[in-house]
Amino acid sequence: MRYYRHIVVRITVCRFATRHHKQGGNLKIYGQSNRRTRRILGATVAGLLSVVAVACGGDDSSSSDPAPTGTEATAPTDSGAPATDAPAEETPVAGGTLRVGLEADVDGLNPTASALAVSGLTMASAVFDPLFTFDVDGNAVPYLAESIEPSADFMHWTMKLRAGVMFHDGTPLTSDAVIKQFEITRLDPLVGLAVKPYYPETGAIEKIDDLTVQFNPLDASQYFPTALTAQLGYIASPTWLDALAADPTLEQQPIGTGPFQFDSRTEDSVTRFVRNDNWWGTDIIGPTYLDAIEFFPVPDPDTRTEMIQNGELDLLHTTDTNQFQTYRDDPKLVMSIDDNGEEYFLMINTAKAPFDDVRVRKALALATDRQGYFDLFNSGEGRMADQMFTPDSPYFNADVTQEGNDPEGAAALVAEYCGENPVDADGKAQCTDGKVNMEYQWSGPSVIATRIADFYNENWKASFNVTFDEQNQQMHIQEAALGVYNVVGWRQFGAENPGDDRVWLECRNIGGISLNWPRYCDDARDALIKTIANPASPDERVGLIQQLVQNLHDSYAYIFMTHSSWAIVNTDKVHGNCDRKSPDGAALVCSTNGRMFFQSTWLSS
Amino acid sequence: MRYYVQRVALAILLLLAVSMLTFGALNILGDPLFNILGPVAGDVNNPDSIKMIALAKKEFNLDQSLPVRYFIWLSDFVRGDFGVTFSSTGQPPVSGVVSERLPRTISLVFLAQMFAVLVSIPWAIIAAARAGKISDRISTINAFFLVAMPNFAIAVILKFVFSLKLGWTPITYVADDPLQSRLFQLLLPSLTIGLPVAAVYQRLLRSDLITTLQQDFILLARTKGLSKTRILFVHALRPSLFSFITVVGLNTGALIGGSIVAETVFRIPGIGSTLVESIFRNDFPVVLAIVMIVASGFVVINLLVDFAYTLIDPRVRR
Repeated sequence: MRYYRHIVVRITVCRFATRHHKQGGNLKIYGQSNRRTRRILGATVAGLLSVVAVACGGDDSSSSDPAPTGTEATAPTDSGAPATDAPAEETPVAGGTLRVGLEADVDGLNPTASALAVSGLTMASAVFDPLFTFDVDGNAVPYLAESIEPSADFMHWTMKLRAGVMFHDGTPLTSDAVIKQFEITRLDPLVGLAVKPYYPETGAIEKIDDLTVQFNPLDASQYFPTALTAQLGYIASPTWLDALAADPTLEQQPIGTGPFQFDSRTEDSVTRFVRNDNWWGTDIIGPTYLDAIEFFPVPDPDTRTEMIQNGELDLLHTTDTNQFQTYRDDPKLVMSIDDNGEEYFLMINTAKAPFDDVRVRKALALATDRQGYFDLFNSGEGRMADQMFTPDSPYFNADVTQEGNDPEGAAALVAEYCGENPVDADGKAQCTDGKVNMEYQWSGPSVIATRIADFYNENWKASFNVTFDEQNQQMHIQEAALGVYNVVGWRQFGAENPGDDRVWLECRNIGGISLNWPRYCDDARDALIKTIANPASPDERVGLIQQLVQNLHDSYAYIFMTHSSWAIVNTDKVHGNCDRKSPDGAALVCSTNGRMFFQSTWLSS
Repeated sequence: MRYYVQRVALAILLLLAVSMLTFGALNILGDPLFNILGPVAGDVNNPDSIKMIALAKKEFNLDQSLPVRYFIWLSDFVRGDFGVTFSSTGQPPVSGVVSERLPRTISLVFLAQMFAVLVSIPWAIIAAARAGKISDRISTINAFFLVAMPNFAIAVILKFVFSLKLGWTPITYVADDPLQSRLFQLLLPSLTIGLPVAAVYQRLLRSDLITTLQQDFILLARTKGLSKTRILFVHALRPSLFSFITVVGLNTGALIGGSIVAETVFRIPGIGSTLVESIFRNDFPVVLAIVMIVASGFVVINLLVDFAYTLIDPRVRR
C-alpha cells in the first residue's frame, strides 16, 4: 500500500468536471452532496478499509504513492467532455485485453472480509456489481437494486432487487443472497467494525420476498443508499460464500454478478478477468467491450510509469505527484487528476496526555509550517488543505482556516501548559525543559516519510521534545486503532456523501478498537451529524456540514495539510472510461478516489 | 564411503542449527498475533477479542513453549508440511506459497548461473592466454567494474537501456505468460545477478589458468607441439577448475541473495521477494520455510561440490 497525494488545477475529469457546485445540496431520496469524484468511506466497509490503507502511507508526500483524488485532465475541457474519451465519431469496438497497473495487490477479493482499499475496490468493480452507484451528480442511483423506498421517518428502507440477475456460477440473485452477505460482513471482526454500530443486534435486515429486503438501521438517514455503493454493496454469490467457509483460498477466485468474471490469478503478478457474456446488464446498460482485463499490482510508482511508457500497461492510477509532469509530457498518455477525495493531515490522539489538552493540540498546529511542507514535498502539484473540503465544494467553509506557521503563538501556549507542571495518569511529567514531550509516528520504512518526520521536527523542536516512532504499516494501523500514539500522519475523509464520514467522528466509534482514531468525543458533534443525515432542506444540510467543518477545526484533533490527488493515466488507445451508465440511464462517475470501472471501456487498435 | 557419511551428517547438523537459530530469532522478535487477528490482537479488554486471541493462539500453537513449538514445527517440516501462513484464514498453506514461487527463483538463479559460467570460462581463457596485454587489461577493468556495481544499479541500467530506450525487452515478469515469454522476461533479471558473478568467476579462473599455464606439464605440451587452443582447453582448463567449481557452488547462495533485488526490480513473484514481504509482515512460517529451503539448497550444492572434488582429485577423500 502506498500513499500520498495532492492536486492540481481543477480542470475537468471526464464529463463530470463541472458537476460539483451545480447541485450543491439537492435533497433526493438517493441524492446527496456533490463531491464529485469522492467515494464513500464513512459508514461503508470500503471506507473503513480505505482509510486503513491510507494509514499505511501515513504521510502525504509526493514521492511515495499517495492517496487519492482530484480533477485535472491533461487535455482540459471546460465543456466537461471526458478528456479520456475518444472523439465522438469513433465507434466503440469489442475485443482486446486491458492491462491495468494498480498500486497494490490484495489478499483476497471477498467483500465480506477482505480489506479492500483502492486497488481491491478497482478489481472488485469488474467482477461485482454494487447495489447502488454514484452518478455524476453525486447521487446514489440503483444498479443491482431496482429501487429503494424509505419509510416516512427514514428509519426503514425497502429495497427491491432486479429480477433475472445471475451470479457467474449460475446462482440467482435473491434477497437471501443480500441478507447472507450483510450478516457475514457484520460478523467480521474488522470489516464489521464499520457496520455493527449502525444496526440493531437483531432485525437489522429482513426478507420481504425473494427479491425484496428491508434495512432497519439504528439512525434515520435520507442518504442511506450511499452506504451500499462500495464494499457493502458488492454482492457475492451465496454459493461461493458457503464454499469459502470450507476453503478460504477461494477468496482469490471471486464470484459476483459483474461484467467480468474470474479467469486466473497469480498473487503479486497478475489477476485476469474475462468478459461475462451472460452479464445481466448487456441489454439494459450496454455491451461490455473488452475481452479481458489484467490487473498488475506494481507498488513502485516509477515502475508503473515505465511500464505504461513501454507499452506494458494501458491504464494506471497513482498518487505520486512526482510523476504527473512525466505524464503531461508524454503525448501518448492522457491523465486526469482528482483531488476532491481524501485529505492528508496530522492526526492527534486527544485521549492521551499531553494532547488531551486543547492548548497543546493548538500549539502543535501553530508550530507546523504547512506552506513549507507543501513547497518541499508536493512537487508543485495539488492544493493545501484547510479542512476536509476543497474550495470547489459547496460544503467548503470559507471561515475555517487551518492555522500554522506561528511558532511564537505555539511557544506561548506551550509555556502556559508547561507552567502548570502537568503529569499523565501514571504521574509522568509531560514537559521537559519547558517543552512538551511527544512522539511522532509514521508508517515505514520510507525514505520520504523519514524526511517528512525530520521536517516536522524542525518545525516543532522549539516547543516540543519530539521522539520518532517508525512502524511497519500494520503496527501503525494497529496502534492508531488502539490509541497507542500521540501524533501520526494520516489520510482520510473524502466520502462522496460527507455524512458517511461520521464513522470516523462519532462517540460510538470509540472503544478498544476505535475508528474514531483521535478518540475525540463531542455530543454536540454527534447531534450535528445526526441532523446532517436528516436535514429539513438541502440548504440547511449545507449549513450543517459547514458547522461540522468548524467543529472539526475547533477540536484541533486534525492539522489539515493537503488535499490528496489521484491521477488516472491511460494510453491514447483506451476509450470509454467515462461512458458508464446506470440501468436507468444515468451517467455515472468514471473514477472515484483512484478506483476505476471498466464496463464501458474499449480499446482502439 | 566414510567421507560421504561424515559430510552428510555435518550438513544435517548445520541445517538443524540454522533452523533453531531462525526459529528462535523469529519468535523472539515479533508478535505474530496481529497478522492473524489485526487490531483485535491488541484489544485485550474486550471479552470477544480475548476469546479470539485465545483461539488463534491455540490454533497456531502460540500457547506452547518455544521448544515445544520448535519440535512441532520441525516434525511437520521434515514431513513436508510447512504449516500455514499467519493470516486470519491461515491460507494459503506455506507449501502452496513456496511451491508456486520457488520454481521462478530457481529458474532465475539457474539462468543467471548458466549465463555466468558460459560467459566467464571463455572470457577467462582469452584473458589468461593474453595475460598482461592490452586486451587483458581492458578485460580486468571491465570485470572490476561489474564486481563493484551493486545489483540494483545494474538492474536499473539494464532496464533503462534495453527496455526503456531500445524497447527490446519487457520491464517486468508476468507469471501467467507462456513459458517462452517468461524465459525472455527473465533475461534482464538473470543478467542483473549473473554479470557480477561472471566477473568474479572470470577473475578467479583467469588467475588459476595463468598459474596452470606456468606448470611443467604445459611446457611439455608446448614442446610436443600441441596447439595453443588444445593446451588451453584440454590441458590447462581442467586442473584450473578446482577453485572455480567451489566458487560456483558457494555463489549459488549469493545468487539467491541477488535474486531478492532482481525479483523486486523486475516484479518477479519468487521466494526472494516473498521472503522480504514476509519479514515485514512477521509471517514467520513463510520466512522459516524459505530460509530452510535456501539453506538446504546451499548445503546440498556445497555437498555436491565437495563430492565433485573427489572426482576431480580423489586425494581429497583422504
